[in-house]
Amino acid sequence: MPVLKNIAAIAKGMSITFMEMFQPTTVENYPDGKGPLRGARFEARFRGAHVLQRDENGLEKCVACFLCAANCPSNCIYIEAADNTAEHRVSGAERYAKVYNIDYNRCIFCGYCVEACPTDAITHGHGFELATFNASNLVYRKEQMLASRPAHMGANVVFNQADVDGGAPKEMVAGS
Amino acid sequence: MADVTLTVDGKKVTAPAGTLLIEACKTVGIEVPSFCYYPNLSLQGACRMCLVKIEKMPKLQTACTTVISEGMIVTSDSEEIKQARKSMLEMLLGNHPLDCPVCDAGGECELQDMTFSYGAAESKFMEAKNHKDEQQWSPVVFFDRPRCILCYRCVRVCGEGMDVWALGVQNRGVSSIIAPNKEDHLECEECGMCIDICPVGALTSGAYRYKTRPWEMKHVGTICTHCGDGCKTTLGVRRADTGMEIVRGDNRDKSGTNGDFLCIKGRYAFDFANHEERLTQPLIRKEGKLTPATWEEAFQLIGKKFAEVRDRDGGSAIGVIGSTRTTNEESYLLSKFARMVLKTNNVDHHRTADFPAFAAALRGKADATASMADVFTAPAILLIGNDPTEQHPLLAWQIRNNVRLHRSRLYVINSQAIKLRRQATNFMQIPAGAEGKVAAFLAGDDAAADAIINSSSTKDQWNSLRDTLRGEQNLVIAFGSEILGSDLSSLVTFGSAIAGAKFVCLADYANSRGAADMGLYPDLLPGYHPISGSSEFHTEWGEIPQAAGLDLSGMVEAASTNKLKALYVVGSNPIGRLKIDSFAFSNSFVVVQDMFLTETAVVADVALPAANAYEKSGTFTNTCGDLQLVKKAGEVTGTKADFEMIVRIADAMGFDVRKLVPIGGGTHADMGQSRGAQSGEADRHAVWLEAHGLEPKLSPFDPMAILDEIQRLVPGYDVSRMNLLAGNSQHTSLAKAGPGVAHRPESISPANDTLFSSGTLGHYSRALKSVMESHEVKPAEVAAD
Repeated sequence: MPVLKNIAAIAKGMSITFMEMFQPTTVENYPDGKGPLRGARFEARFRGAHVLQRDENGLEKCVACFLCAANCPSNCIYIEAADNTAEHRVSGAERYAKVYNIDYNRCIFCGYCVEACPTDAITHGHGFELATFNASNLVYRKEQMLASRPAHMGANVVFNQADVDGGAPKEMVAGS
Repeated sequence: MADVTLTVDGKKVTAPAGTLLIEACKTVGIEVPSFCYYPNLSLQGACRMCLVKIEKMPKLQTACTTVISEGMIVTSDSEEIKQARKSMLEMLLGNHPLDCPVCDAGGECELQDMTFSYGAAESKFMEAKNHKDEQQWSPVVFFDRPRCILCYRCVRVCGEGMDVWALGVQNRGVSSIIAPNKEDHLECEECGMCIDICPVGALTSGAYRYKTRPWEMKHVGTICTHCGDGCKTTLGVRRADTGMEIVRGDNRDKSGTNGDFLCIKGRYAFDFANHEERLTQPLIRKEGKLTPATWEEAFQLIGKKFAEVRDRDGGSAIGVIGSTRTTNEESYLLSKFARMVLKTNNVDHHRTADFPAFAAALRGKADATASMADVFTAPAILLIGNDPTEQHPLLAWQIRNNVRLHRSRLYVINSQAIKLRRQATNFMQIPAGAEGKVAAFLAGDDAAADAIINSSSTKDQWNSLRDTLRGEQNLVIAFGSEILGSDLSSLVTFGSAIAGAKFVCLADYANSRGAADMGLYPDLLPGYHPISGSSEFHTEWGEIPQAAGLDLSGMVEAASTNKLKALYVVGSNPIGRLKIDSFAFSNSFVVVQDMFLTETAVVADVALPAANAYEKSGTFTNTCGDLQLVKKAGEVTGTKADFEMIVRIADAMGFDVRKLVPIGGGTHADMGQSRGAQSGEADRHAVWLEAHGLEPKLSPFDPMAILDEIQRLVPGYDVSRMNLLAGNSQHTSLAKAGPGVAHRPESISPANDTLFSSGTLGHYSRALKSVMESHEVKPAEVAAD
């Protein structure tokens, strides 16, 4: 009897609904939660705004090889390379990225850039609050994406210290 | 030679006896990998990548050194061979730094390709890599030792190909290193051939170093704008704030007649285009000073002034000086514009060879001019005057390699001990300025012998040389600008008696030949038709002045007596290059189209910023008469091609531009034919249309519309349009050219450029100035081999 079967199915479904009604809520309390993340929680593998990493000497890991840009399906990465000199050393290798822009209007957070990177310079952070009223704000420059210098390297000059710290809380970093 | 038949991977291969196995495999589409083997260089057998299995031979054999023999049975691909190649790669990678992400060769590296093919991704080596810092050998050559795989290609191309021998090998075996000739740096021709031929990133270019990556650029194969040889250079361009910036010149496109060859100018001297002194807006002299103005203002002013002078004083009060570096279309258009719109025959350019006499001498002789490719295959070459190593690097390359690979006989007659004498079968030194007498002597005037004999030669030697030359067949006779006028015709008389003899008349700039062919002369129309006669141009162009105009010196004289009221200079710098007094034209209204404020442009009343040959489309004719396509690569905002400017001035003078540029239809739209660097699918379609003669020429700025007219009217230019557009060089013929006119020998002034100078352009090239060789002139060294 199909009618009986349907009724049984509805009853089964509704039983789950009623059961869950009395369980504690698991919905994130964003943005009214506590802490810098205001209640948002992430899996370690979450792909948020990119972070450009530094090596143990505080130099940028990016060597401007353009592989991320070549691999990017939405063509949102723009790089201009330049030569490191003895006086002005930015990265560990011969070349560094003078300009490194990611256009978050176009980025689809696929992570191919991270996979392509031969020096593990570009990674996905957990920054997700990218919304803005002005689309031109969505073109992030290198300075906005760079990781902070190691503590022993002195004052940090990056713009988005709060974003970097906020986007990658301690417990998450440990697992990622 | 007799053919030999062998079997490779079950396929029957037939090739001439003496062919190398690796080449025989190529003919049937079997690619045997190799690093050290390079066609036309000596065999090395160093990399062991080309190992193949040959039946009845004990071990794997190198295909690059094995000559094929009858009945050979070869396996080019088996587990054993794969394993051998993989092991070789593992060894090569043993000390390779694997810094592909920063390496300039990354993306176009043969070692990368091989590693992908044979997968030696994991290494069994535990040892630490032996790192050595990168060395700078010259402003344009860098060497990264750990990346080197010791294929010795650079050493061989420098020695055998270039006859420079600046690179060598130090030490033995695994500790071999490539070393420059002067301890820690190079002193050579700075041609950069070693960089291009390096299969990895061991030798890198100082100009392009760490700037971008190969796949980030667009590559445009166009013709070099420096000397008259017409090498094809591939320009790598990328977008920049000011348009499209040229960042690299190399030889990626080996389809040109130059094959593997490029000199320092073709490879590095594109940098004048990015020079910060480029003009990017029109300048009009106001209250004695050149002040920025709009294009409209400039064109209106020029149009008004030119029309005023023409109507008041007649066209003969206007002078026109054309360029040796603009395209054929622009030169033709300028020639037409001067005659039809300005009504003047005062047209000239910087002449560096006597082409009218050349055309006159070869009139009616079919197949009498040699193409650049012929110089590489001719069984014998006679070179009189000139120093091709310095002034015509490609011609020198063709001659050298013809001698080396085909055992061609080279006869050199020169007043200097030029470097090509090292390849010569017979080198005869003559007193300076006696080249003309040589022509006379060869043509049979024995009385001229006295003038050409010096302490090192006797009359008997000269007589026997003449007899030897008369006995040659298919001789290519190349001569410099020392031979002109009647000497030129006696040389042609001598050559015409030799079966299959062909001539090359050497001129100095990229389109000197084109400027001459397109009639930038006061007394000649395109195709060397005299101005006073009757030709197709007289009927096609309508009413044009019939009296011969003034040449350059005539214009200077007319200006001094205040008879020259206006002067129009297109891409030329007569004041700087021809030692004309800076105040010569101070009473004339001078308009200059150029890239920079040259010595001529600073005295102009209006200076218009022009695009260079790398920034426009059209055709060039090299000194041999090979017609080649010029493609747009770079772009600098604020400049315009000379073509457009000429048309705009004609328009501002109230002339119907459709009579000047034969465009069809009623619309004025650019369908994209001239977009070049930013082109895509639409352009490919346009190329197809053009190849079939179907292209809609809707724009008055479309050089292809003028090319139609050139091909229709200029004798010898009726070459295959499709081959031209496909990028092949097409040899033009002078057989049907007009009778020409005799000119004064003084009207020709050679540029005397060296490998490291290039007229006015050379002043603006940092690369040419940066190499130490450009600061000293040294005599050719004695033979090193």
